[in-house]
Amino acid sequence: MTIRFGLVGAIALATTSLLTLGPAMAQDEVTITIWSLDDANQPALNLAREFDEQEPGIKVEYREIQFDDVVSEAMRAFATGQAPDIIAVDNPEHALFAARGAFLDITDKIANSDVIDPANYFPGPLNSVTWDGKLYGVPKATNTIALYYNKDLYAKAGITEPPKTWDELVEVSRKLNDPANNVYGLAFSAKANEEGTFQFLPWAQMGGGGYDNINAPGAVKALEIWKTILDEKLASPDTLTRGQWDSTGTFNSGNAAQVISGPWELNRMLEEAKFDWGVALLPTETEGGTRSSAMGDFNWAIFASTQHPDEAFKALEYFASQDDRLFPEFGQLPARSDVALPETGVALKDAALKVFLEQLQYAQARGPHPEWPKISKAIQDAIQQALTGQASPQAALDQAAATIDGILGQ
Amino acid sequence: MNQIWTQRLLLLVALLLAALYLFPLYWMYVTSLKTGSEIFATPPGLTPANPQWGVFGYVWELRGMGRFLWNSVVIAFGTMMLTAILGTGCAYVLARYRNFWIDVALFLVLMLQVLPASLMITPIFVGFAQLGLLNYPQLAVVLAITAKAMPFFVVLVRASFMSVPTELEEAALVDGNSRAGAFWSIVLPLARNGILVSAILIFMQAFGEFVYSKSMIPAVELQPASVGLNAFMGPNTTEWNNIMAYATIYVTPILAAFVILQRRIVSGLTSGALK
Amino acid sequence: MNRLLSSLRDGKGFDIVLVTVPLLFLIALSGLPLIYNVVMSFQEVDMFSLGTFARPWVGFKNYIAVFSAPETWPIMRNTAVFVVCSIAGQFLLGFGLALFFTQKFPGASYIRGLFLASWVMPGLVVGAIWNWILAGDFGVLNYVLKSIGIISENIFWRSDTNWSLWAVIIANIWLGTAFNMILLAVGLAGIPRDLYEAAELDGANGWQRFWTITLPMMRATIGAVISLGLIFTLQQFDLFAAITSGGPANSSNVAQYWAWEQSFRQYDFAKGSTISVVMIAVVMIASVIYVRSTRHEVRG
Repeated sequence: MTIRFGLVGAIALATTSLLTLGPAMAQDEVTITIWSLDDANQPALNLAREFDEQEPGIKVEYREIQFDDVVSEAMRAFATGQAPDIIAVDNPEHALFAARGAFLDITDKIANSDVIDPANYFPGPLNSVTWDGKLYGVPKATNTIALYYNKDLYAKAGITEPPKTWDELVEVSRKLNDPANNVYGLAFSAKANEEGTFQFLPWAQMGGGGYDNINAPGAVKALEIWKTILDEKLASPDTLTRGQWDSTGTFNSGNAAQVISGPWELNRMLEEAKFDWGVALLPTETEGGTRSSAMGDFNWAIFASTQHPDEAFKALEYFASQDDRLFPEFGQLPARSDVALPETGVALKDAALKVFLEQLQYAQARGPHPEWPKISKAIQDAIQQALTGQASPQAALDQAAATIDGILGQ
Repeated sequence: MNQIWTQRLLLLVALLLAALYLFPLYWMYVTSLKTGSEIFATPPGLTPANPQWGVFGYVWELRGMGRFLWNSVVIAFGTMMLTAILGTGCAYVLARYRNFWIDVALFLVLMLQVLPASLMITPIFVGFAQLGLLNYPQLAVVLAITAKAMPFFVVLVRASFMSVPTELEEAALVDGNSRAGAFWSIVLPLARNGILVSAILIFMQAFGEFVYSKSMIPAVELQPASVGLNAFMGPNTTEWNNIMAYATIYVTPILAAFVILQRRIVSGLTSGALK
Repeated sequence: MNRLLSSLRDGKGFDIVLVTVPLLFLIALSGLPLIYNVVMSFQEVDMFSLGTFARPWVGFKNYIAVFSAPETWPIMRNTAVFVVCSIAGQFLLGFGLALFFTQKFPGASYIRGLFLASWVMPGLVVGAIWNWILAGDFGVLNYVLKSIGIISENIFWRSDTNWSLWAVIIANIWLGTAFNMILLAVGLAGIPRDLYEAAELDGANGWQRFWTITLPMMRATIGAVISLGLIFTLQQFDLFAAITSGGPANSSNVAQYWAWEQSFRQYDFAKGSTISVVMIAVVMIASVIYVRSTRHEVRG
């Protein structure tokens, strides 16, 4: 008896909750679904709600997805006809969808738009939404990485200015390293996921390499420097398994004197760091050598399967029109050169912003290539093998280069 | 006299072992009560210096845990019921006969569960999408978890049926009962404890299920607490005290129920009422 | 019609219905997905063709690719180490505890209840807690080991290639011990007491009684516990995701995590399916062993 009641109850419950979810739809009201990883403190969720309110004819359903799940969830949904109308996707993975026609070609819509003008965007981010000369999305924001340093610990170690070259970075880290007080000289991330690639590629590029030339002599030297840093325990061995956010956490708590990370850390650092800190450009291979940096953050795209391309594009236009709020309200950098970033009045933040904006000029996109995850994996494998001593940096990068050549040659 | 000391010694050893074993759990509770900076302190403090009792109410409100927990209960209850209905009969038949086909069935039941949910989710998702089941996300999750939980239930309940002597069932048949009648009025009541207890265990497993729910329930309003916890954890988190507080609220009721019920659980699983 | 009905109520039909309905359910919800995996392992799969079976066939190409990948054998070895050590650890600890708690002392059953805690914990929570305990620089395990003098320097459980697999094994043993203990306790409770009394009269000591009564009587239970343990261990995924992500440099990668990584990180679904099919083949062998072990079960 109970058994039957329970089952019926469960089914009834599932059905009723489903009904309450989709309230009686007003006539002509169009529903668009948006998937993004932003939570209540980040732009997408807030902008989506605003758009929902100001457009009486459009209802917005927003779903927050975890960073790690974006692509797999999106693929599965697209393959089974359950895709959302709009998605925010990490820029190196944009081409994966665009190249297969999963994203809507919005070149013409953008050409007719009063709000979105490709000329206003930085070339790197714009490049990442472009495939085969056509536009398949709009950059959502952008970011890059630079070197944060703890000024108090610098003063204690008698260091006056941040390192300019790789060798100086190692030298400075040795001076700052203080195991007795649980302080590492440096923190960064060599994790076996996209974050490791994101952190290593700038070094390879400064050394004259790139993802298509990963075993260039300068790139090998970069990996050797990384290995020195880990072998001498100038950075925590957990660098191998820790992401950038957690690594920066150790900097904020005073357990690392420097950290390589991005502007997304600024707000938290202001809150947590109980010391004076600054930001410097990434050290180059030699004094005055080639600069480079990573280009991060997400892009907006519309799925080709959408039933409401016009409404979806309208949403993108609204998001782009609010780009000037990204930094003051959410601490994110708009991917555009025409948006002035006003002083926030917080000295540390304004100084940091200047450095990041300069660093951004050297930022290079990863790819675009539809097989980016495999290219990235080859680079991560090389990093991990070299740093754990399973292969020399040269051998590891040679192998990665061979793998990547195979992928690019297809 | 000697015996009393042996008992005390055993009790002491038991307490020590339990303390050692439960340390991870203790660590969860302690971490939830610590302040943010205390969590990263070296050396780590074994007790919170300044317990933050308010954290539980704060997290409950902040994450809207009431709804999440209710969804977990709904999913777990549905799974338990469906598993019990489908699994009990299966276990009975598998316990009653010994022949090649029973071996095949038992083999199938086990074999079908080899892959972790994380690998089963894609085909299940594709299939459910085609059947339209994804429009009823909680039901879809219940079906998927039931398939996952079934072998465990069948193996446990089969053992309970094995301990019901065949003679009793045969006697009932001689008395004029039908097979169904004998099953319903003789065999089932005798194996009742085992079934009940195994069902409770299934409930508890389903209560913590995560992979299927995450992929098949996009609407926050219908998600169970595990998905809520995952969303809270994210890769960019430092709120470990709040996360552990969430985990504490999530698992404590079920832990309490388990500790209280455990005597019945063990005796239920043996269910050798006739031994 | 009537015959059919009465057979359903009172004959073979009754058994057949009872067993076929759940089996059909299982075949639909577990069997078809497995077949889907097997089919994919012989095809060229593209992320956008997930919803269909109509994909180009490639024969054994995926298998050749998997078995010629340099990481395959280390990962298979890790899987074997993980499975064997996890099961052995869980079983020995679980059996030890189950035997210990058959002793009569006040509070025995309540304290035994406490041990079951690990079992009802959601995998996600267990992963988070162990991740926390095993952290290298500020983890409490290192702190404890250092204070009692077992180690002199922090062990980087998650990042040291010598330890990473063991970090997951430790957490998994913790997780599975309770399950082993309770099922073995159930088995122990099922052994008739008079057997022991008779043996005691014959002058058998505790050790002899264990080998001549306990173990043989527990044969079926042990078989069930170990096969269920095998399945649970092979399904273990949350702990890898939470603690090491299979790294560094694949040093803690195992087949089930690797398969997932290929499918959902590299989007190489064919390779992911191929790895899982290899896993299924291995488990089929294990299941045969289980089913054979049930032949020795005693009824009543």
